[in-house]
Amino acid sequence: MRLLPLVRQFVLRPLRADPTRTGLTLLAIALGVAVVVAIDLAGDAAVGSFQSSVTSLLGPVDFEITANGGIDENVMAKLTALPVNAKFGATIEQRVATRGNLPVLMFGIETILDPTAAVVSRDLATRFNWKPGDVVRLHAAARTAEFRIRSIDPDEKNEWIAVDIAPAQQLLESYGHIDHVEVIVGANENANAVERAMQGAIPFGYDISTPGARAEDSQRMLRAFRTNLGVLSYISLLVGAFLIYNTIAVSVVRRRVEIGILRGLGVGRRGILAIFLGEAALLGIVGSLAGIALGRIMASALVDTISRTVNSIFLTSSPGKVAFAWLPALLAFAAGTAVAVISALIPAREAAGVPPAEAMRREARQHEARVHAGRDLAFAGVACLLAIVFGQFGPVGGRPLTGYAAALCAVAAAALISPAFVSSAIHSLRGLLRRVPGAAGLIAGRSLVASLARTSVVVTALATAIAMTISVGIMVTSFRETVQIWLENRLQADIYLRAAGQPGAGVFPPIAPQVYGIVAATPGVDEVDAFHGFSFRYEGQQSTFGASNTAIMLRHGPPKFLSGDADTILRSLPNRNRVIVTEPFANKHHVRTGDVLRIALGPTQIPFTVAGIYYDYSSHRGLVIADWSTMRKYLPDQPATDIAVYVRKGVNANRVRYDLESRLADYDVSLAANEALRTSALTVFDRTFAVTWALEAIALVVAMLGTANSLLALVLDRRREIGLIRCLGADDGQIRRMVLTEAALIGLLAAGLGLILGTALSLDLIYVINRQSFGWTIQFHPPLGLLAAALFLLWIFTVAAGIYPARFAARLQPAETAHEE
Amino acid sequence: MFSGENSPELTVAVNVQDVRKTYEGGVEALRGVSLQLRAGEITALLGRSGCGKTTLLNLCGAMDFPTSGVIQVAGHVTTGLGDRQLTRLRREKIGFVFQFFQLLPTLTAIENVELPLLLAGARNSMQTARERLEWVGLPEKAESLPWQLSGGQMQRVAIARALAHTPAILIADEPTGNLDTASGEVVLQLIRRAAREFGAAVAIATHSAEAAAIADIRIRMRDGLIESIE
Repeated sequence: MRLLPLVRQFVLRPLRADPTRTGLTLLAIALGVAVVVAIDLAGDAAVGSFQSSVTSLLGPVDFEITANGGIDENVMAKLTALPVNAKFGATIEQRVATRGNLPVLMFGIETILDPTAAVVSRDLATRFNWKPGDVVRLHAAARTAEFRIRSIDPDEKNEWIAVDIAPAQQLLESYGHIDHVEVIVGANENANAVERAMQGAIPFGYDISTPGARAEDSQRMLRAFRTNLGVLSYISLLVGAFLIYNTIAVSVVRRRVEIGILRGLGVGRRGILAIFLGEAALLGIVGSLAGIALGRIMASALVDTISRTVNSIFLTSSPGKVAFAWLPALLAFAAGTAVAVISALIPAREAAGVPPAEAMRREARQHEARVHAGRDLAFAGVACLLAIVFGQFGPVGGRPLTGYAAALCAVAAAALISPAFVSSAIHSLRGLLRRVPGAAGLIAGRSLVASLARTSVVVTALATAIAMTISVGIMVTSFRETVQIWLENRLQADIYLRAAGQPGAGVFPPIAPQVYGIVAATPGVDEVDAFHGFSFRYEGQQSTFGASNTAIMLRHGPPKFLSGDADTILRSLPNRNRVIVTEPFANKHHVRTGDVLRIALGPTQIPFTVAGIYYDYSSHRGLVIADWSTMRKYLPDQPATDIAVYVRKGVNANRVRYDLESRLADYDVSLAANEALRTSALTVFDRTFAVTWALEAIALVVAMLGTANSLLALVLDRRREIGLIRCLGADDGQIRRMVLTEAALIGLLAAGLGLILGTALSLDLIYVINRQSFGWTIQFHPPLGLLAAALFLLWIFTVAAGIYPARFAARLQPAETAHEE
Repeated sequence: MFSGENSPELTVAVNVQDVRKTYEGGVEALRGVSLQLRAGEITALLGRSGCGKTTLLNLCGAMDFPTSGVIQVAGHVTTGLGDRQLTRLRREKIGFVFQFFQLLPTLTAIENVELPLLLAGARNSMQTARERLEWVGLPEKAESLPWQLSGGQMQRVAIARALAHTPAILIADEPTGNLDTASGEVVLQLIRRAAREFGAAVAIATHSAEAAAIADIRIRMRDGLIESIE
């Protein structure tokens, strides 16, 4: 059999003959693929490169030595005295502020030598339009330093500035401390031997790792966030799958006689299967290619949003440019095409089963795929059970895979229940439908039930998109409500101080030591609580260790503990090796009250007993908090990184804030009033979910395209029927009303099913996926008013999706169609 | 606009004057036809496939316009009427019976009969529909769906539907073409009764000798022209 003429005649020609529907289908696939590509590319760019910038400066580094709370400089002498062929580079790596208080990553290294010189990466130089010879001012704590740019490093992936280590320590006032030691093993030297020698020289609690370990740490931290975004991005493709199923199913119905003729002429079942799978594959290929191009454009629009979320919540990084990568593009292409072909399998197999005798039928028979209601309901029950069972399991490899599986089972259950739901809902609405004038309601309801297999697919697709909107809406609102309540309880201070510059996740720039005294001496100030925080690794994951004045914490809004009395717990902390941990930390590391955590502070590993676990939403990295008295035992002279100021009762807090601003004008600190901080926290929160809303909007657009497409298909299939109704005296307005009533019914049914599914998915999101991803407990607060408004709006959009099919139907002439056989 | 009553004075329900119809592509379906359909009379259109019978029926049924000539349906010249006006004319004055019954498969028998009345916004539509279903002798089949009826029963329901709004004109295109002899005979008797009892002007396009036999006037057509009138 010659395939190409068959493809041209039986695949290309039918697609060309129906340009509107083909266009709608391609657009839906393109959107689905575009979202997947955009999230992948934008995510990569937003995170930036985790390759150590130091590699640019020092060359390939073999090992890196780090320690919680920093490395004592004296360790360098021990390392350089080792009888091994290796170079040891002391390195400072901190964020400082530059022009306009913008943060920039500063390295202090030993190879610059000139204390006034700086080397800048090309990426950073481009941002500020710096050239060799320009003078740059850097600020940190209470100090400012100037450097002349000596050269521009070709590194275009990272933004950094490198200066000599001595002025760096001076600027940061971190004399005697460095952040890490870079180790370069000499040629012909045994790296393992070097590592063994270093182990013997460094204090207990110091960590030797390969440079890739930090990148791996960072990737792991973002994994849950990126996985969740990735899963959301695939929802549009899932909705598109329903659309393709319907498109091919309609194609099969309309071409039954043609298929019968082909079978009569000797084309086998495989040939027929190939024709329809070929149609789906062609739609998938063309749609996916368009989607990749569209995704590249969308990625540029998304990168800033994702970058802000990454920096606010996870870790500090500099976003790079959106770069087209072949692998994500190929994966998205494969996914789009595979989804199209798999979705078409069932209707294509149905086509292959059409007997040759079909060609002999004079009257085109309205064939409907049989709906096995009983069987489908039984399978739906199984899917529901599976969803519940999956929800009981914990994360797999740190990812909420069982949560995703539960969600998928819930969607499958909805798809299986859909036919029974549609027919029983329309049956119960029959009285109301009869009241729609001109028999529009009567005919619309009967038509939808008559095409139950197809109607239920459209309803399921739309319901899935609606459910996604509802579930994320409930989750976000519940989360926001929970965070708002937490903020009201926890943020009790009147004024908050931290080092100037944009705050970043996992970054705790120090505040000059004089600041605390100035603040405490300011008239009107009642109490001052200093907090010191630093990032540390526990069981291979980044967390934060902090010290606070637990007595002040007790007086001003103690945290809410999962169990136990706050008073008893907090009073047990001072001067003892006891800590409190946040819920995310406890969930990530399977920690319970009473467990012992071994944490290295400086050169010593300390066993800390967990006194209590409390609810906290400030960081998903997890917090371990000790009292200042405990911290000073092991890490004396640690500067404050945050200061909370409690104003005396009856004193105007704003006046105190203005007073502090003027007293601290020479210090690099930023002040925020309580209200401003809460607002800012919620703004960050809202920004976090901006991408999510965008993804949902796209999924809804895909679903609406599918609805319009399916309604158009229903109209085309019922041309003869519509012509007959026109013959009987229906004018164009009545025909339009009939089709719009169908659209309204589909919207209503999808809203109902979507609400049920969405509520179930929200429970999965809140109690399974979110908890497993980030460790938080979110209280369930469904926004009923908002949900009702959203559902109504979506229903309006669905009716609007029926406008074009309604106009098309109204234009059908009775003479053309009434006598059709 | 259009009277709901069949006025006995309006004996000429449809007046066709030198009508031509040319379709896109230059196909001349009618090449100058003139005839009249009178109230209470059955006119049979006979001829081979492609002689123009169906085109003429479409024009008489206000489903299409002539390329030239004049057609008056229930006293109204159809040329120049807008789509809405034509639709209203069909809704109030014309009933259709098709070869392949053309019942809506999703509606029951009684709902199919009621449909024209619902489209017209008529009151007591269900009561009237029951009366028409009784008239064709199928009251017990009211709740049956079309696939549950025989061919003859479906065509009887179609006749009931066509007569639901008491039309002045009944257009039947090969009404017995898909029926066995016995069922066809029943259908033809109903059509004859429709002409006598409802005063409708009936036009039947047919190949069937039995259908031709019940006609008061037999018009033979060939290649878009009237060959003879008996």
